[in-house]
Amino acid sequence: RINLRMDVDQSRYLDAAKDAVKREAFNMQRSLDKGLLMDGLRHATEMLNELRTSILTPKNYYELYMMVTMELTHLNMYMSAEFIKENKIADLYELVQHAGNILPRLYLLITVGVVYIRSEECSRKDILQDLVEMCRGVQHPLRGLFLRNFLLTSTRDVLPDFDTKTAEEGSIDDSINFILLNFSEMNKLWVRMQHQGHTRDRSKREQERLELKLLVGTNLERLSRLEGVTVERYEKQILPAVLKQLVNCKDSIAQEYLMDCIIQVFPDEFHLRTLENTFLDTCCQPQSQVNVRNIIISIIGRLSNFAQADPANIPNEIKLFDIFSIKVTQIIQSRSEMPSEDIIALQSALMKLALNVYPTEVGYVNQVLQNTLIIFQNEESRANGCSGELSKLLRVPIDHYQDILIVLHLSAYPKLLRFLELCTRKELCMYIAEHIIETDTLIYSHDQVDQLLTLVECLVADCAEKPVSNIEDPDDFDCQQALVGRLVHQMTSQVPDQQFLILNTCKKHLVVGGNRRIRFTLPSLIFKAVSLCQTYHEVHEEDDKWEKKVTKILQYITSLLSALIKAEYWELSLRLYLQAALVCDAMGVSNAEAMGYEFISHAFAIYEEEVCDSKAQLMAISLIIATFEKTTNFCEENHEPLRSQCFRASSKLLKKPDQCRAVSLCAHLYWSGKNKEEGGNQLQNSTKVLECLKKAVRISNQCMEPTVQVQLFIELLNKYVYFLGNGCEEVSESVLSQLVGKIKEDLPGLESGDITRQIVNHFGTTLGFLEHHHELLF
Amino acid sequence: MVLVLVIGDMHIPYRSSKIPPKFKKLLVPGKIQHILCTGNLCLRETHDYLKSISSDVHVVRGDFDLNTNYPEQKVLTVGQFKIGLIHGHQVVPWGDSDAIAAVRRQLDVDVMVSGHTHKLEAYEKDGNFYINPGSVTGAYSPLDKNPIPAFILMDIQSSTLVTYVYSLPPNGEMEVKKIEFKKGEKSED
Repeated sequence: RINLRMDVDQSRYLDAAKDAVKREAFNMQRSLDKGLLMDGLRHATEMLNELRTSILTPKNYYELYMMVTMELTHLNMYMSAEFIKENKIADLYELVQHAGNILPRLYLLITVGVVYIRSEECSRKDILQDLVEMCRGVQHPLRGLFLRNFLLTSTRDVLPDFDTKTAEEGSIDDSINFILLNFSEMNKLWVRMQHQGHTRDRSKREQERLELKLLVGTNLERLSRLEGVTVERYEKQILPAVLKQLVNCKDSIAQEYLMDCIIQVFPDEFHLRTLENTFLDTCCQPQSQVNVRNIIISIIGRLSNFAQADPANIPNEIKLFDIFSIKVTQIIQSRSEMPSEDIIALQSALMKLALNVYPTEVGYVNQVLQNTLIIFQNEESRANGCSGELSKLLRVPIDHYQDILIVLHLSAYPKLLRFLELCTRKELCMYIAEHIIETDTLIYSHDQVDQLLTLVECLVADCAEKPVSNIEDPDDFDCQQALVGRLVHQMTSQVPDQQFLILNTCKKHLVVGGNRRIRFTLPSLIFKAVSLCQTYHEVHEEDDKWEKKVTKILQYITSLLSALIKAEYWELSLRLYLQAALVCDAMGVSNAEAMGYEFISHAFAIYEEEVCDSKAQLMAISLIIATFEKTTNFCEENHEPLRSQCFRASSKLLKKPDQCRAVSLCAHLYWSGKNKEEGGNQLQNSTKVLECLKKAVRISNQCMEPTVQVQLFIELLNKYVYFLGNGCEEVSESVLSQLVGKIKEDLPGLESGDITRQIVNHFGTTLGFLEHHHELLF
Repeated sequence: MVLVLVIGDMHIPYRSSKIPPKFKKLLVPGKIQHILCTGNLCLRETHDYLKSISSDVHVVRGDFDLNTNYPEQKVLTVGQFKIGLIHGHQVVPWGDSDAIAAVRRQLDVDVMVSGHTHKLEAYEKDGNFYINPGSVTGAYSPLDKNPIPAFILMDIQSSTLVTYVYSLPPNGEMEVKKIEFKKGEKSED
């Protein structure tokens, strides 16, 4: 028969074959209805001849096969009905052996054979043996596979099981042998398909083989359904025979599918029993193309589920993790060609086993990481190209434990992290950081902080890496660093001394991050330090060393600020100096006061030397004044120069309106400002307040722009109103009336427009306030 | 019913790591018409987060909002209420109600919103309403020993303003207080 599969129109051929089958089946039925057995058999044979084709693809052959075998059930029923009555089955069995071609002959023989067995007139065992042997007559792979499948399905209900009573009926062992023989013959046929035809058609052939795999696997499934198959029988008879067939056939498709089949159809207890010595050993042997990875992952997964369903399922002597761990290492070592994704997939399966089945054994998880690490350390090239998979593996413990502190205990973790490509490494570190923040995990000891910052070292400092493949997007970089800045707040201890150790550890790691990083990270440390000072102050009665400790913290803050200054972050540093000054003031002790004075001086220095933009200058001096106003513990010796400095700086601003506003702010320093000498009371120096405000008025007189001038007057009027309301005696009615008069004079002359409207309105609300609250009518 | 979220002083990343999850759960997109943010976010990410909650977001500049273009102050009208918004570090002395009243006079608004002190406030004075949503993250402030995470939701219906003051005290149980304000005749102040 010439293999014309490629050229023949499959569907046309199939339709023709199906028509023939229908026709012959109809005729067969008609003959049987009339009681004409020989005619019936002849038509059956004709029908079965259609199955002798070589032309159909497996899918189409299957369709034909299903049709034919369904018709055969009619024959079966007829025979069962007619011949059992008359005890002539033996004759019939003899009769059908004379059919012409072997294929129809064997189908008929099987059909009759099953009826014969059911009649119980024969030795079941002998018939079954007969049938399974005789099928050897068909060596064509496709036809042979379907024939033997027919054998298996037909004998489904007649195989002897554990409860058969007589020797003639056969025993469970006979069934096992029957099926095993059928299985190995089918496997041989199946494997033979691999080598038929041209090499160029190989992938098509493999695809067709996969379509047929169920036929072979059904043998194993049938075996598993025999009630009498105990774990001993499985261990001693079945598994060795199946594995021998798998190993000897040297075919990777068969090995992979059938090993998986074994795992799926037999119960977990059987697998446990045969795991170490039989099953896994065989896994190590098969040809290196076999995807042993999927098989191992499959069996690990199954036994994992089994263990989780009920821990008592696993006997204590069976150390599942150790067994698999050792075997996986052996397998990986013996296959130098194994791709990295496969290595990691295996480790991942082991890790999940450890986490799910032995949740308290953190050491197991570390062992998995350690084993992976050793593989990569021995052969660095194996780590290439698998960053994605490795990253997924490293996420598993984080997601599982939900507590990063446990992950920090895994000694192999940071070392394995280094094998990730830099950008993947950073992503994972960000994942870790985000996880800590989202779950609100607190890192409460400086050792843990040290470990954590070492773990995420690629984020906090530049790596001495081989050339980076792409320039990092600046926005992404900023996001990363903001994340580190946020992470700092999770490193917190309620114990102040421990908190200081934490701050020092953080500084060690973060201060070397480089200019682009410290802008995001050091301020967080400064604020935590500032908070810590307050904490020490709150509990100062319990700790007689508190002043020294606060001094050390302030020195710590100073060093961080120096780093920011060196990196030229002027605006940021100015603000941070002011924040630090406030906390110094709150300490209420003299060495803190000295440092507070230093801090404000630094702020002034930055203001004078580095803030150049006039708008920024006004903002900065306003901030200094506002901050200074809040201090309460400077002695007059310190307070006075700072007051003067504020005033001087305000007067020296470039633009008149800015000068005016800043000077008017200084008035507050003389009123609500506090120093040590006043002992908690406000200075309330009315004279000085008026001096400031009068100066401000004089400055606004020098403004050239009328609208701006009037606006400033009204703002100053409101300043007067403020101090009036707070009891400043020198704000007299005449002072007010003078200013009000000036405003009233100038208002009409302003150009109409939105701003003028607003100014007029502002004046109105101010006058209204004066009338309502101070009964002053202007 | 118009919902206005008043929120600010997040200070992320310098003083805080995140907005409390219990708050985030409440701030569902699509329910809030306007957001008034008192400033000191300090990241653009935080501004983006606000934009995801409502399409109309107003932010004013805080002292730690560096490298931004936010205005010093803002005035807008919602229903019958004219609302003023300023961070508050510009208002000297910090936290002084007379000083903030002066700003109200200047902007001539019914509702004056300010922040900076991290002190949650909602009070009426001389016929006008003063609101400080505190710090939504409970961030460190030199002016307040232990700030509590908080924010305010205003429900404005023509001439009635109902404020819902949300806070998370240390015991972890969220508190909500309701304060109503009716815009009466505009009294002279």
